[in-house]
Amino acid sequence: MKKRVLSVLLAVSCMAMVLAGCGSKEDAPEAETAGKEETSKEEAGGEEETQNKTADILSGVEEQMNQALGELPETGKGEKIGILISSTSNEFWGTMKTRYEEAAEELGIEVEVFEASAEDDTKGQLDALNTMIPMGFDAIILSPIDGTNLIPGIVAANEEGIPVINLGPGVDMDALADANGHLDGKITVNFEEQGSTVANDMISRMPDGGEVAILAGLEGAGQSVGRTNGATKVFEETEGVELVAAQACDWDTEKAYEATKDILTAHPELKGIFACNDNMALAAVRALQEMEIEGVMVYGVDYTSDAKAAIEEGTLMGSMTYSSSVYTKAAEEMAMLIVQGKTFEGPVYLPLTLVNQDNISDFEGWK
Amino acid sequence: MKKWLGKYSQQIFLFTAMVIVCILLTIRSEYFLTWKNIRNILEAVSYRLILAIGMTFVIASGVMDLSAGAIVSLCGVTMALALHGGIPVPIAVAFGILLGIALGAVNGLLIHYTGINFFILTLAVSGMLRGISLMITDGKPITKFGQNFIYLGIGRIGEIQLSVLAAALFTLISIPLMFHMKWGGYVLSLGGNREALIKSGIRAGFYRVTVHALLGAAAAAVAVIITARLNSAEPNAGMNMELDAITAVVMGGTSIKGGKASIAGTVMAVLILGVIRNGLTLMSVSSDYQQWITGFLLLVSVLISEIKVYKLKALMK
Repeated sequence: MKKRVLSVLLAVSCMAMVLAGCGSKEDAPEAETAGKEETSKEEAGGEEETQNKTADILSGVEEQMNQALGELPETGKGEKIGILISSTSNEFWGTMKTRYEEAAEELGIEVEVFEASAEDDTKGQLDALNTMIPMGFDAIILSPIDGTNLIPGIVAANEEGIPVINLGPGVDMDALADANGHLDGKITVNFEEQGSTVANDMISRMPDGGEVAILAGLEGAGQSVGRTNGATKVFEETEGVELVAAQACDWDTEKAYEATKDILTAHPELKGIFACNDNMALAAVRALQEMEIEGVMVYGVDYTSDAKAAIEEGTLMGSMTYSSSVYTKAAEEMAMLIVQGKTFEGPVYLPLTLVNQDNISDFEGWK
Repeated sequence: MKKWLGKYSQQIFLFTAMVIVCILLTIRSEYFLTWKNIRNILEAVSYRLILAIGMTFVIASGVMDLSAGAIVSLCGVTMALALHGGIPVPIAVAFGILLGIALGAVNGLLIHYTGINFFILTLAVSGMLRGISLMITDGKPITKFGQNFIYLGIGRIGEIQLSVLAAALFTLISIPLMFHMKWGGYVLSLGGNREALIKSGIRAGFYRVTVHALLGAAAAAVAVIITARLNSAEPNAGMNMELDAITAVVMGGTSIKGGKASIAGTVMAVLILGVIRNGLTLMSVSSDYQQWITGFLLLVSVLISEIKVYKLKALMK
């Protein structure tokens, strides 16, 4: 009996030590409140171009994209391209799937889209890739769930001589090289730029500085890490702005909702929240509404239909977007170019756009 | 005294751990011990508690239900579609709850009559239900239901949120239901001593079905709360929620083999996990610690009960 009591005490005290230890990160250096003029100046110019219509923006983006690709492929000869996405259980990937199919029709090629059962099903996604390899595709375009989950499949595709193009969330290049694998092409969004663009827009609306927070996605997921790092850098470099919390919410709206409430409890003066996707941003908006707190700017990423409505209503400040039609088309063009013999050295970046309460009227029919 | 300590060692462990965690958090964060924060904690754990209490009954009956999270998702999207179809809130909610009960009952029926292992069976059902949710929503969240429905998730009577009241009420009812009524007694013996139950002519099937129907109802209630709170029904809602519930139930001292249950233990386990989650966010500490601590608490808690069983066996020799 005594032993058991002892073991209980031991266990409890062991846990207490862990808890006591993890609080110490909190004493981050306070940022001084002087001199934040530099950051607010540069934003003044952005509002002139409100006349731009969606079509103009879109064709501009496509032009930039084509320049990045270098040349356009010969018309499709019915190339068969396999596409592996994360999971259509996320609206974003559902849209991407549709855009892939539309672009393929336009380009005269044949595509087939595969996916994992859920956004965190890393093994299932690898299984899907392994299934695709013997199916006779001329090239495979893939978007891994995390940096490493598809590496064995990519190596297998390399061995079969199937060109592999990585779209979006990046494959861990060091780990891939270690496994003797390589990518034939990479087209991506600069996730850090997504984070920094939001952060810059946010601080431009905070002339007196203040506290901000980040709701991150799944720990280790490329998008989440990139967006968080990009935003963190801007916040840390801006005097007067203090990043008081960055919580991983695993893309889970319920977690984002609860984290928002907890963060606001600890930091009632919070000025802005950057959520790494729109679903979490909208959950944060819900939490703020429920706590009856006004004046906290919330930003998301993806520009989903709900986010669009929320920006129009004025409850969401902004959301990062890019043209999924240009993105998927460019990826397929890249695949065609590679099949036709062109090689790509570095990654090709997709132009990014921030939709916010000031410019949303320009984005009717954006796709 | 000794006997009492032995019987409730897991609950005593959890209670002690909780007191220590609370003291530490009070020292570390000035916001921890404020009414607003306590309210946040209670509101965040409310729906988790409802599901965990339902799961306590199912685990007490000797099985587990891995489809509870998927039931949450399907009930949520079904209610959302009904509301969007113009069906009044009370009817849509009643329909959602009935659907939860029916899905739970189907699990019970299948387990009892097919004899397929409950783990495999509910895993299969879980996949199918989540798949249906995804198919009927096309993977997209369904949003905006109007103030009447949202009230169910965030409405308060005085200072107390409805979800917290519902969780408290369900917990209070569950104690006599489990320990003082015939139904609970049979549920426990379904887990602890199924052969004897059947030999004595009790219709085990009835208890198997009703206990799963109860969990189904709890899952549907969770669906109402989180859908209303977020003003959004998502096919991904409730992901892994059943595992969190099972974790809390086992941590609280309910035997995974059935036959022995502790409502108080479940309540404490859900509370301590909620307090830790809240505390880490208040202190801006990465949520990675949360998983470590949850695993550690589960291990120690179960270890304590295993040591107990081992000692008893040694004594009997």
